[in-house]
Amino acid sequence: MLELLAYDFMQRSLLAAALVGAVCSVIGVFVVLRGLAFAGAGTAHAAFAGVTLAYLVGLPPLSLAIVFGLATVWITGWVEEKGRMKLDVSIGILYTATMALAILFLGLMKTYNPEVYGYLFGSVLSVTTDELMIIGGLSVVVLGTILLLSKELYFIAFDQEMAAASGVPARQIFYLLLTLVALTVVISLKTVGAILVFAMILIPASTAYQLTHSLTQMTLYSMLIGVFCAVSGVLLSYAFDLPSGPSIVLLATSLFFLAVCCSPKRLHRIQRA
Amino acid sequence: MTHPIIRFDHATFGFPGIVALEDITLTIPESEFVGVIGPNGSGKTTLCRAVLGLMAPLRGTLRVLDCACEELRCHHRALIGYLPQKGMIDRNFPVTVLEAVMMGRYGALGLFRRPTQKDRDIARQALTQVGMDHHRDSALGALSGGQQQRVFIARALAQQPRILLLDEPTTGLDLTAQHSVVELIQQLHRELKLTILMITHDINMIRSRVDRLVLLKTKLFAAGPPQEVLKPDILSQVYGKELVITDKDFVIVEDYHHH
Repeated sequence: MLELLAYDFMQRSLLAAALVGAVCSVIGVFVVLRGLAFAGAGTAHAAFAGVTLAYLVGLPPLSLAIVFGLATVWITGWVEEKGRMKLDVSIGILYTATMALAILFLGLMKTYNPEVYGYLFGSVLSVTTDELMIIGGLSVVVLGTILLLSKELYFIAFDQEMAAASGVPARQIFYLLLTLVALTVVISLKTVGAILVFAMILIPASTAYQLTHSLTQMTLYSMLIGVFCAVSGVLLSYAFDLPSGPSIVLLATSLFFLAVCCSPKRLHRIQRA
Repeated sequence: MTHPIIRFDHATFGFPGIVALEDITLTIPESEFVGVIGPNGSGKTTLCRAVLGLMAPLRGTLRVLDCACEELRCHHRALIGYLPQKGMIDRNFPVTVLEAVMMGRYGALGLFRRPTQKDRDIARQALTQVGMDHHRDSALGALSGGQQQRVFIARALAQQPRILLLDEPTTGLDLTAQHSVVELIQQLHRELKLTILMITHDINMIRSRVDRLVLLKTKLFAAGPPQEVLKPDILSQVYGKELVITDKDFVIVEDYHHH
């Protein structure tokens, strides 16, 4: 197994996977606790629509992925804030509309382009040095912002109105969180793909939620689980010639069910009952 | 009269096409303990949100801490401790008691600054004041309803507030816990000289404890010492058939909508 690390492509893949695993799982804590699970799924599909349009008009794919992702999360946030429509309904509409756009843009392409499908299903083993630089740069931005504003992010996840009432600029922090979710999705598109990226946001955080009552510990556990699953998934996919995205996500899902069965919180509830 | 800390002047609040509170004129001096009563939909929670600066008046003015409520900045809000209604908080949120109380320090700390040992000491002191310091490492979700309310009161106290806003703090608690929480609030008022606005449906519980009662039904129906407000003719105009008076000194409000 160690000789694998001598290959440049494998070094890039493992580094990309570790970064994506860390970023997705940390932002996932706030997504899970703030109840934005479905918003992340919608963002991933919107970002893929951006990628397909970029290929169609000849722009860098991640540039339009960011534009589409940000537009989706900001509209979602605005709708929730105004209370004009239930969040799941507005996201459902955006989710399907952007997916329809992606299919439309794919249909308008004259030839089959396998690179586009790499963004849909994930292809971490083909990450280039330039893509790794972008993933690294955006990961530093997202993780750095979370580190600087973690106390405010925790508070709005707990209770946004109470945070606002306590003097925290809760509205601005909420939109910042949505922006970070969109950036995280864009970072992860190439590694795990638009369909599975959201699993990487949701599952490690949900697994950590089973294991602890402490916010700080939940974030730490989530990050460890995310990085472990991402790196192990890449190695498994190479070893058994499997697609990388599903390998990562299915490993994370297995850990989730294991955590549910062994959850100290659940066992404590059973004992109390 | 002590310096007014909250002053409504013909203030009307609501949303487009809906008036939730109309033409309220009310002055609350510093260190007063005010109970806010009224049936469901009478504007009690709107009053709370207005004082927090989360709603601007459609007409008239509201000044809180010598500042127009629509201009309340984060540092003003940090001086208002707030306990939301019980149902509005996720009680299974993965947070320890001390972590929850520390959140009370975040507004005053400001962005980018990490809590210091001094903040932790203030949070511990707030927990001691509500008798919950020994539970500081427990999971919030593992506590009883009454204990959780004490923790949330401690969170508000950790802000070192000048005003404490309590939105139905006894709802959903058993009778013993209700008494215990209200006694704690009264004790905090006595010891810390806080201005307290407590929204409640339980007239019996607070009638002997507050300095003044405010009776709302979209408009300000009555405001004054409890014995002046809790008169059958006044209450029956507001509560109608929901009101049952068992004898001269005992008032029960059957909150039918609540059950």
